[in-house]
Amino acid sequence: MHYDYWLANIPGIGSKTIQKLLLAAGSAEEIYRMGEAQTEKLAGIGLKLKERLRDAKRKDFEREYEELRQKDVCFTSSEQKNYPNKLRNMPDPPYALYWKGELVEESACSVAIVGARQCSEYGYAVAKELGVKLASCGAVIVSGMARGIDAGGQWGAIKGGGKTFAVLGCGPDVCYPSEARNLYAEILNKKGGILSEYPPGTQPRAGYFPCRNRIIAGLCDCVVVVEAKERSGSLITVDCALEQGKDVYAVPGRICDSLSAGCNSLIEQGAGIVLSVEELIEKLGLLPTHELNCRNFKNLLLEKQERMVYCCLGCQPKNIETLLRETALSMSELSAALAKLIQKEYIIECFKNYYIRRL
Amino acid sequence: MYSIISTASIQGIRSVPVCVEADVSDGMPVFEMVGFLSSEVKEAKERVRTALKNNGCTLPPRHITVNFTPADIRKTGSGFDLPIAIAVLAAMGEIKAESVKDTLFIGEMGLNGKLQPVNGILPMVAGAKRQGLKRCVVPEENVYEAQMVTGIKVCGAECLRTVLSILNGESDCGRVQKILPRDEVCEETIDFSEIHGQHFIKHACEVAVCGMHNLLMIGPPGAGKTMMAKRISTIMPPMSEQEQMELSKIYSVSGLFPRQGKLMERRPFRAPHHTISMQGLAGGGILPKPGEISLAHKGVLFLDELPEFQKNTLEVLRQPMEEKQVRLVRISGTFEYPADFMLVAAMNPCRCGYYPDLNKCRCSANEISRYIGKISQPLLDRIEICVETPRIPFRELTGRDVEEDSETIRARVVLAQRIQRERYQKESFDFNSQIPASKLESYCTLNAGQTAYMEQMYKTLHLTARSYHKILKVARTLADMEQEEKIKTRHLDEAICYRSVDKRFWNRDREA
Repeated sequence: MHYDYWLANIPGIGSKTIQKLLLAAGSAEEIYRMGEAQTEKLAGIGLKLKERLRDAKRKDFEREYEELRQKDVCFTSSEQKNYPNKLRNMPDPPYALYWKGELVEESACSVAIVGARQCSEYGYAVAKELGVKLASCGAVIVSGMARGIDAGGQWGAIKGGGKTFAVLGCGPDVCYPSEARNLYAEILNKKGGILSEYPPGTQPRAGYFPCRNRIIAGLCDCVVVVEAKERSGSLITVDCALEQGKDVYAVPGRICDSLSAGCNSLIEQGAGIVLSVEELIEKLGLLPTHELNCRNFKNLLLEKQERMVYCCLGCQPKNIETLLRETALSMSELSAALAKLIQKEYIIECFKNYYIRRL
Repeated sequence: MYSIISTASIQGIRSVPVCVEADVSDGMPVFEMVGFLSSEVKEAKERVRTALKNNGCTLPPRHITVNFTPADIRKTGSGFDLPIAIAVLAAMGEIKAESVKDTLFIGEMGLNGKLQPVNGILPMVAGAKRQGLKRCVVPEENVYEAQMVTGIKVCGAECLRTVLSILNGESDCGRVQKILPRDEVCEETIDFSEIHGQHFIKHACEVAVCGMHNLLMIGPPGAGKTMMAKRISTIMPPMSEQEQMELSKIYSVSGLFPRQGKLMERRPFRAPHHTISMQGLAGGGILPKPGEISLAHKGVLFLDELPEFQKNTLEVLRQPMEEKQVRLVRISGTFEYPADFMLVAAMNPCRCGYYPDLNKCRCSANEISRYIGKISQPLLDRIEICVETPRIPFRELTGRDVEEDSETIRARVVLAQRIQRERYQKESFDFNSQIPASKLESYCTLNAGQTAYMEQMYKTLHLTARSYHKILKVARTLADMEQEEKIKTRHLDEAICYRSVDKRFWNRDREA
């Protein structure tokens, strides 16, 4: 394991070169023990690479590895037994894998919930609902812990009492984005895991995120895209998933919403459509563990004015000025109705003086 | 020969009486001025000497000493030229000593003896009257301002010669100057009835004025935020004479007193650009001058594009907002300017202005949370009412509906403010917005049911102690507007809609 760690941490050597070296030499330990002369014999080895190998051997990698363990960060490589099989099957799997907490269980059905960072309130609610219900049926949720949809799905999984795994574009000990620190702590609390192919301490970089999306696609059995614009980063995850033969589902949206353009075009290209969470659960072959309730408008106990206000609201945020106009109520009647609806948790104020229905 | 002349200097908006003494005696021919003078006053020596020469009065080759008393305050400003000239002439025996008795002289002088207007005439003349002086001689262009003070004779003079003829009794000194109607014509009339639709914001403005709450409007570009802000001062109750005088003094000191022949009756509306400096906003400079917050005294200070203002510039607002005045301590003394204004701020919800419309908004989540983060929390804490203004649909823009005019709204505001004044007779404050936390319970009493209701709302809406207090204050104002003695639940509900800005709306981590 030490040697694997050494091989994974040679500056300037990526997983492609590592695979090449391993093919020639057999194992990391053998590469380490090779003399200069032997190294030179390896096919395709350049002068630079030779120098890098030589320099790397001078490092005290054993101590570094111990430090890593002390930080509660685990390490494995594709040569080891505990390396997730799901990743072995993907093209160009990461050689190294660092994680905090647990690793994704092989047997569990894992679903990736991905989508826009700058999502709508509706999108966030859908992602969370998906997370709650899928997790309560025993699925694990894999995502990137990003703002918006990712966080919604993972919070949902936590609320639903399930496990969730985050794959990061930085070291597993770096919480990015920083505002997700509660989520980060909660994932570890609930026996989930934070995974990364980058060693601890690595700061996020734009180039790391497409690679992390590739791992998300590798770890899951299917991908659900909740909200995505036409050219969204989430579509990279989708492409990787398709490449690896995983199922892709998309939550349909209205045709004029730019945030649903990506999802709708995925559906056009043949992705599965999420008509309801329950239907998705069924398609995935999961058994619902409890009766799922759906809010039926007719069952709501509402007074006349509250009903009128509720009817005016939908999944799109609506301003109080518009409501005043549409309901023709006075300011104090309208504010009273809104306050009651908020109190009954039928609607939420998603932005200053903007209101939407709750799912 | 010795002479003494009365004049005045400005400190803050207060007038400080200053005497200019002159003595002409034998000795080395020198023109000396003493008495803690700033450089512009020191330069007066050359102006006075030349002006006197050009008016046929060459200074004798004798020892001339001019002294300014009291000697411990710094003399600044350009109004000392005339008093120096008169003092020297009196010391030379050109003017009789009794003709300058009980007379205040102020004015800057050109080399040909022509008098130039100076700033701060109004407080100086008012101060002279308090001091018991009978007459004042001011540059002709300042007459309209000096005449605002009753009970003192005002003489306008256009040059040194006129002053001399007034003093010798050759010219009528009570000449009333014609009022220049220029500014009167330019005054545009604005009214709330010009705004169509936007009933929510209009009502919020009315509530804000009733309780003198500070107001923040959030909305996309072109939603009418500035238009609304401009009209807020039109629904404020008319100013008392004392308030008018105080405001006029501030404008006089800043050289902005309008040439209209009456005190300032309209409440001011000041909208400084967001590049304004700390000194520009609070007042200051080497020669301290009132800042925008003082120019907005008794009126509206409108800060458009609030997040674009420098953070430390906005921080200076905190103390004046509490104390209703600003104290500037400089090496040359302490200056106090009144600054009792209503803060109206406007901002876009995000950089592009379209959030939360995600179809139009091009900002990343990061940019959005950074945008609101630019405003300091202590300032937001001082804003009780916050509303979001959407764009007006075309239908309403062209609507034929007759909208309420400012006068109708103002009548309601006057009533609501009177109720507050009566209630707070024995207190040190006048309006609901100023209720201190310790007195909140006695003035904003809730019954048991309402307390339980607010407790639940406190949890559902993630309120803080501060935002809860603000809701209570606004609810009190809403109750006053309906002349209700007790706060009703509907007032609380409405106050919740106006509650101050919640930074969580800009942050996507809802679960925190």
